Amino acid sequence: MAHTTDTYVLKAEDVVLYFQTRRGIVQAVDHVDFHLGENRAVVIIGESGCGKTSLTRAILRLLPRNVAVYTGRILLDGEDIMALDDETFRTQVRWRKITWVPQAAMNALNPVVRIGDQIAEPLMLHLNMTKAEAIERAQEMFRYVGVPEAFLTRYPFELSGGMRQRAAIAMALVTNPRLIVLDEPTSALDVLTQANIMNVLKKIKWELGVGYILITHDVATSSELADDVAVMYAGQIVEMADAEAFFKEPLHPYARLLMASVPRLYSTENLQFIPGQPPSLLNPPTTCRFKDRCPLAFAKCEQDPPMFRVGDRLVKCWLFEQEGQPVVRSETTVA
Amino acid sequence: MAEQAIPAAPVTPEERAQGGVPTWKRVLRYTVVRMVMLFFTVIVGVYLTILIANMGGQVDEIRRAFIREMVGNMLANNPTFRALPPEERQKRMEAEILRWEKRYGLDQPFLVRSFRFLKDAMTLRLGRAENMTSDSGSRRVRLIILERLPPTLFLFGTSALMVFALSLFISLFLSRNYGHWLDRMFVSLSPLSSAPGWFYGLFLITIFAAWLKVLPFGGMISTPPPETPWEYTLSLLKHLILPISAQVLSSLFIGVYSWRTFFLIYSSEDYVEIAKAKGLPSRTIERRYILRPTLPTIITSFALTLIGVWTGQIIFETIFDWPGLGRTFYQATLVYDTAVIVGITVLYAYLLAITVFLLDIIYAIVDPRVDVGGPRTST
Repeated sequence: MAHTTDTYVLKAEDVVLYFQTRRGIVQAVDHVDFHLGENRAVVIIGESGCGKTSLTRAILRLLPRNVAVYTGRILLDGEDIMALDDETFRTQVRWRKITWVPQAAMNALNPVVRIGDQIAEPLMLHLNMTKAEAIERAQEMFRYVGVPEAFLTRYPFELSGGMRQRAAIAMALVTNPRLIVLDEPTSALDVLTQANIMNVLKKIKWELGVGYILITHDVATSSELADDVAVMYAGQIVEMADAEAFFKEPLHPYARLLMASVPRLYSTENLQFIPGQPPSLLNPPTTCRFKDRCPLAFAKCEQDPPMFRVGDRLVKCWLFEQEGQPVVRSETTVA
Repeated sequence: MAEQAIPAAPVTPEERAQGGVPTWKRVLRYTVVRMVMLFFTVIVGVYLTILIANMGGQVDEIRRAFIREMVGNMLANNPTFRALPPEERQKRMEAEILRWEKRYGLDQPFLVRSFRFLKDAMTLRLGRAENMTSDSGSRRVRLIILERLPPTLFLFGTSALMVFALSLFISLFLSRNYGHWLDRMFVSLSPLSSAPGWFYGLFLITIFAAWLKVLPFGGMISTPPPETPWEYTLSLLKHLILPISAQVLSSLFIGVYSWRTFFLIYSSEDYVEIAKAKGLPSRTIERRYILRPTLPTIITSFALTLIGVWTGQIIFETIFDWPGLGRTFYQATLVYDTAVIVGITVLYAYLLAITVFLLDIIYAIVDPRVDVGGPRTST
């Protein structure tokens, strides 16, 4: 199991991101820990509004104006990038080490700048390449993701959705980053294009050894790419496990219900749904956050459960109090 | 394996060109069609103005009555005329009235003359004013307009450019500093712009001219005009302070508010976020990712501002006694001087049409999404 070693590309510890709104403080990311091993892909699964996108924002330091609390440690190759000042972060981390393919990547390209220029931009800025070198590198990346080089001189509106998605991926690859954050990279595309894009992503992972953080609500598609799975619920990560083990048998009651709601090939079981609604992230309950919807809830669930280590897996549920050992946060901060 | 899994179907430029029509032909055809359309629009606009300025022919009745009165007075003072018998007097008077009406063209029906007016207006033969004269005493409408144009251009050009530049500059700053006290101040002050410039003009004149007596009530230059160029400039600037302040007061806040909101919307686009994630310096982001995509809107707004500059503002110029086109337009409506009204309108209509035409071309230059006359063949 790869993530038992201590060579993490990225390790997030106790990351908190709260937003200030008119109605109060929204606890979008609430004390989240997770890690990403060398050349692995971690998929963060959760329903809409669970804080997945806010978590990517926290990692990328792309914060909206109404941030109330932003604390924790994010270690990139052992270095705490949250401790860096904005200018150092901009010149040392942004697009050199972490790149991003945003949600609705259709919109990720500036409509009035040629695609090639947009892809060459970070190379000229961070790697001091000349324009010609940068364009050459961009051509290489375009060939790699399967977009004809001629499209480099085009404008984004001249490309189809799938092409634009590939271009966005090429843009994320161009600087040889340590890690790419993919925020629902296929959700706006049709099924065939989704499959194509997933193949591109798989190929990149195998051949270039880039780490992925893949944020999605699409369990089926993400299972193709995942090495590790983190399940997010109401601003917290409730389970983190190796993908194979997770897809075989999820532990957390929420994860079980979530997996039971995913259609499978060759299955005669009826699909299930999870009754109720996730709690509001404004003043979330101090109990286990899934308690009200959990079919297995018992007296202990009145308290917020700690993370339990069950074998190699982490699960935030009182059901595993006997089996597992509580993870003390100070333990996890040892990189 | 993955290599085959990535089918790519590029659309070649050749496929995009429609049947191989050369670019210049398409652009030319588009240009001609556009010009014809705009010309037609101008014709309709000018003709409507002619109809309205003549009140659909009602002004002719006023002219007839005026001629009758004038001829009556003239003949009444003529001793030979008074000596004639009544029937003869009546006959002479009617003949004289007819002669005058013919001189004014009133013998032809209004509809026929309206088309002649239209032709003259469109060919910029603006003709002679009926009642108004230029300061140099000419009745030619062209001279009247040319004489009044510079003060209008000067006043409104200065204030419009000031307001435009200031509001862009301030709003960019505010959009970067959302929630800053300055931002909140501009937002809360924006209702100030609900009142027009002349409204503030009244207050400013009351305070600074009538009460404090530090600035002139109105006009462009003190009387008699100062001799030396230095004093002349100084006097001009002194007369500019109040009107420009009034304009800025009435248009700056809403301008800043709307541009700020506009930039805020555009700075939350995904590609701006990507630019941030790319680690571009904030000045580059502002220039290439916020200003450049919004350039067409900014240019449009600027062009429309410039057109407004050419016509001036009727009430504003009247209140500040500014010798510009707006005030002239107002005076012309008071004395039914249709030639002047139509003249100013024709000028405005042509300027508007030319601006719209130029904007089409500028759009195609600054925004690659705007494609003149079908898909492009270049690249």
